[in-house]
Amino acid sequence: MFILDRIAQLKKTDRIALINREERLSYAGLDERSEAFAAWLLKNPEGARGPVVICGGKETDFLPCVFGALKAGLPYVPVDAVNPPERIREIISDAGSGVTVDFSGLLSGDCDVISPGELSDILQSPPVADVPPGLRVSGEDIACILFTSGSMGRPRGVPVSADNLMSFAGGFSPLLGEGDGGVILNQVSYAFDVSGCSLYGGISRGMTLFTVDREMVANPGVLFHWLARSGLTAWVSTPSFAEICMSADTFRQPLLPLLERFIFCGEVLTHSLCDQLAARFPNAQVINTYGPTEATVLVTEVTVTQEMRDDSRPIPIGHPTKGTQLRVAEEGSLVPLEDGCQGELLILGGNVAPGYYRQPGLTAERFFHDQATGLRGYRTGDICCRENGLFYFLGRADSQIKLGGYRIELEDIEHNLALVKNVSRAAVIPVVEKGKARYLVAFILLEEEDGLSPLTRAISIKKQAAEFLPAYMIPRKIIAIDSFPLGVSGKTDKKSLAALLDKGSAP
Amino acid sequence: MKIENEIMAILNELTGAEAGELEPALDLFETGLLDSFGVVSLFVEIEERLGVSVAAETILRDEISTPEKIVRRVKRAAEC
Repeated sequence: MFILDRIAQLKKTDRIALINREERLSYAGLDERSEAFAAWLLKNPEGARGPVVICGGKETDFLPCVFGALKAGLPYVPVDAVNPPERIREIISDAGSGVTVDFSGLLSGDCDVISPGELSDILQSPPVADVPPGLRVSGEDIACILFTSGSMGRPRGVPVSADNLMSFAGGFSPLLGEGDGGVILNQVSYAFDVSGCSLYGGISRGMTLFTVDREMVANPGVLFHWLARSGLTAWVSTPSFAEICMSADTFRQPLLPLLERFIFCGEVLTHSLCDQLAARFPNAQVINTYGPTEATVLVTEVTVTQEMRDDSRPIPIGHPTKGTQLRVAEEGSLVPLEDGCQGELLILGGNVAPGYYRQPGLTAERFFHDQATGLRGYRTGDICCRENGLFYFLGRADSQIKLGGYRIELEDIEHNLALVKNVSRAAVIPVVEKGKARYLVAFILLEEEDGLSPLTRAISIKKQAAEFLPAYMIPRKIIAIDSFPLGVSGKTDKKSLAALLDKGSAP
Repeated sequence: MKIENEIMAILNELTGAEAGELEPALDLFETGLLDSFGVVSLFVEIEERLGVSVAAETILRDEISTPEKIVRRVKRAAEC
């Protein structure tokens, strides 16, 4: 696999692969520790049985586990420790995993779980025997399985092959400009495909990953202390993270004097963020990209120009990257529409994943083989149009949303809120301001009157929901109503619910 | 009292609480009422309504985890 070959070359240099606060992991160290983990997996009968789940945040040793699994010929499943233990166990069970490395401690006591202490011993011990290179994940082998929010209330797996990742890295590399090395931001959770920009894009260019963990995001005082010492040359994040940073007046070029470019992915990039970046980072390029997990991180790119910022249309998602073809078509059709027409975006090419993990029905619905080109394709459910060769994202055909850069199916939240005691039904509405979902409001129907004040009830429901959902999926406001307005189809009429918010005192 | 009242009003709007419901010592993060995005909105509102700007790059969660701590933090910024 290309990334393992690249690490093998880089280990002969004195380059640093990852910075994590005071910690430094060299490429030589990364290779050694990955090799030790691979050797342990192969020696261990449970280890060699199936995918390796890695549950944590931004721990330094997350990386050796990733590349160790790949060296041993096993896919890895990155899971963010922001999830409650029950949801993590669902993923472990759906993935059919062999062993789980648990940095979080959420799973201590479960079977086949390796603690950080045990992992540390494994990574430090020299490999007992060489790991045969022939075993490595390659070609169409699955390299990782990423679980996203599923509309049935249970996470849905997307397997990504070694070939998919190579196709992605080939399309992404030109965005990093000329020359090897530099420092790239490593903030996006490893459980989300956007982290592939630093993990596969950055490492294949011999860069140093500069880590920002959840604790730093929660404490800007700590975040800015480290950012000032980062030497960052390439920023990769969701627009939401940059917006949080924008709230600090010191987030300007002098803080990051070496920064050459911002690369955004994962959600709508607003005009207002582009304008602020142009004012505060006059020397940095701003690149917008787009792509669903099902097509491996990103399949479009464009450098945002002054003209685009002045245009009243949304910031475009850009042109297809190398190896990708895009089409706008009517729902259910493969025939491209004319320029300027709105339709569903179809993605074809080497980035398109093999399908959904162990879900043939859903796979057949969304993925296809295009006979005309021989390419594999994916129906995104994203409504787009093309004008003058540039693609624009206009919205979703279903109730999937992006919030704070996270991909969320509203039904996933609704299913899980209804699991909370005394909640019979829930409807979740995103509150949109300045062209972007800013927070969620849940309207709930109680089974019986609970006599609680609105805030006490909201706190109690949030606490119970946290047993089923990660924090970022729990609505900011929870409002109990007496009855749900129904539309003609008999479904909850969300427009009427949204109107309730406008009438109220909600900011 | 102006700072207290205005901050409580903003917090009520952000969290969906009714007047008087939010206890001064309630942990807003532990209860899931605030997150990083909520914090950004909170300080934007504070700046707009009170004209007090808290340098975001210095914020630590421990210093703003309850309504009374937020009041204290904003007063400190107002004195600077």
